[in-house]
Amino acid sequence: MSAPLDPKGMSRRQLLRHTAWFGAAVVLTVTGGEVISHLGGTPAAAAAQDPHALRFVQISDSHLGFHGPANADVTGSFSRAINQVNALGLRPDFVMHTGDLTHLSTPDQFDQVRQMLGGLRTGAVFTVPGEHDSVDDHGQKYRAMFGSGTHGDGWYSFDVKGVHVIALVNTLALERLGHLGADQLDFVRNDVANLPSDTPIVVFSHIPLFAMYPAWGWGTDDATQALSYLRRFSSVTCLNGHVHQLFSKTENNITFYSATTTAYPLPHPGQGPGPIPLTLPAGQLGTALGVRDVTYQPGQHALAIRDRKLA
Amino acid sequence: MNQALPPLLRVSAAGCLAASGALHAQLYLHGYRTIPGIGPAFLLQASGSLAVALLLLLSSAAVLRLAAAGLVAGALVGFIASRTVGFLGFVEYGLQPAPQALISLLVETATLGLLAVSLLERRAGSFTTRASTGRAEQT
Amino acid sequence: MRQFRTSLALPAVAAGIATLAGTAIAVGIITNPTTATDPPTGPAPVVSAQAMPEMSMHPTASPTAASGQDAPVATNAVAIQNFAFSPAIVTVKVGTTVTWTNRDQDAHTATAMSGGFHSPTLNAGQSYQYTFTTPGRFEYLCTIHPFMTATVVVTP
Repeated sequence: MSAPLDPKGMSRRQLLRHTAWFGAAVVLTVTGGEVISHLGGTPAAAAAQDPHALRFVQISDSHLGFHGPANADVTGSFSRAINQVNALGLRPDFVMHTGDLTHLSTPDQFDQVRQMLGGLRTGAVFTVPGEHDSVDDHGQKYRAMFGSGTHGDGWYSFDVKGVHVIALVNTLALERLGHLGADQLDFVRNDVANLPSDTPIVVFSHIPLFAMYPAWGWGTDDATQALSYLRRFSSVTCLNGHVHQLFSKTENNITFYSATTTAYPLPHPGQGPGPIPLTLPAGQLGTALGVRDVTYQPGQHALAIRDRKLA
Repeated sequence: MNQALPPLLRVSAAGCLAASGALHAQLYLHGYRTIPGIGPAFLLQASGSLAVALLLLLSSAAVLRLAAAGLVAGALVGFIASRTVGFLGFVEYGLQPAPQALISLLVETATLGLLAVSLLERRAGSFTTRASTGRAEQT
Repeated sequence: MRQFRTSLALPAVAAGIATLAGTAIAVGIITNPTTATDPPTGPAPVVSAQAMPEMSMHPTASPTAASGQDAPVATNAVAIQNFAFSPAIVTVKVGTTVTWTNRDQDAHTATAMSGGFHSPTLNAGQSYQYTFTTPGRFEYLCTIHPFMTATVVVTP
């Protein structure tokens, strides 16, 4: 480029001017990046190490005992999910399984899921039941194994690192939609009655608490009542399973996140005759399955949610 | 290089680009910085967009317009990828987060549109200039 | 110089136009799940999502596409196949024994919503029988897949 003119007619001087603008852009970008990341306070890596940050994992719909072309090895994929959680590099404060632990509520399946959950490296393992965990006994076997310390039909709440966590049971009514019932609604109302409104709230349930697709039962008929008790809180996050696919929706102060499954995908709402296990082409199943990890840093408004495909 | 980009178009493009950068900066601070891969990408997009937007007010150099187009096109491609095949392993849904997702889509497509229009006007203008008396300024 | 700049800018514009088109398509794709709570365009008339917060839903108000035939059928055999009870409404006389047979690979149950009958888990090929001794309308579902609902009408 030492020639005064290149074939397209760019002079050396013009090239220099381009270079100067480019250089200015780079310098400004670097400076701006420094400023913005400085505004952010602790950088991302430090955030993950923050001992005051809450970090938990949601897994869902393992359906142990399912046999079908949609997933020939649900035990294997659940096992991979557990390994993936253990390999996150940071021991989560707790792991929540949001229901459908088993496919058919048999004692063997409950035994198997409890053993497998025992392999999680975490501070605590929590569960809520799915409808597959109470197919013939209104959830008795589920509660015998996972219900200690819970109220009513298996609901409970706890506090961890400044976050109030509520775990609800909306799978026991014999109806198409999820249902909480009067006792559980009272529990929610009393549970949050004395909490300051700036307490971050996390609610777990199996069936979504929002109307994701009522025609397929993807909603909870009395959820509005429960959510009304949470309206005054500045940050409410509802995490559910059941629908075997990722979906999120925000309604005022409440954000809903449906999680995917470790077992088999279901169709998107309204696509096909019903929520029937989908058989994906060979090799694609893993992309539909996954685990979710969630971080909450004190002082932040929202939870940082990250969904990971099954490795 | 001598013929400036019509100022109105250039300022509008710079404004849209800055808006895109500001939205990415806001989301970065609001939690996206904790997402591996996405955090640095948002930071780069935000700081780059704000820098180029500032320089676009001073000059219409091709390298700046190219950088502007690249920044918004990159943001749009990342948006689309994150809603379809995933972007750096990150998946989001629909127009979440609202309203930032929708606004950034709009300002980014507007940036591309303004850059394209200004380019077409410049070309039309230059041909006219060559062909006859010339219209130095396009409005 | 002008040529140089144009040659640089043209690909950018082309990329921009391609991206615009791509965005339009992608927005079409991505807004689909967002609007999923709206009534679907499919054949099934469903209760709209807006009705949801008021909770005025009645289970029978939202027939799914799966439970196709809603006309009562006079038979005492109900097949469970493709995640649906078929026929969706059967009419029998008091004293009739109704037989449910699971023709799916997945397990199902037939469980009355308001009490009455409750089958065990029916694996592929298994059947369950129940004799109706009182007239009435019995709504039932599969506890494993509660979206599967159907009705037995027992006439005197």
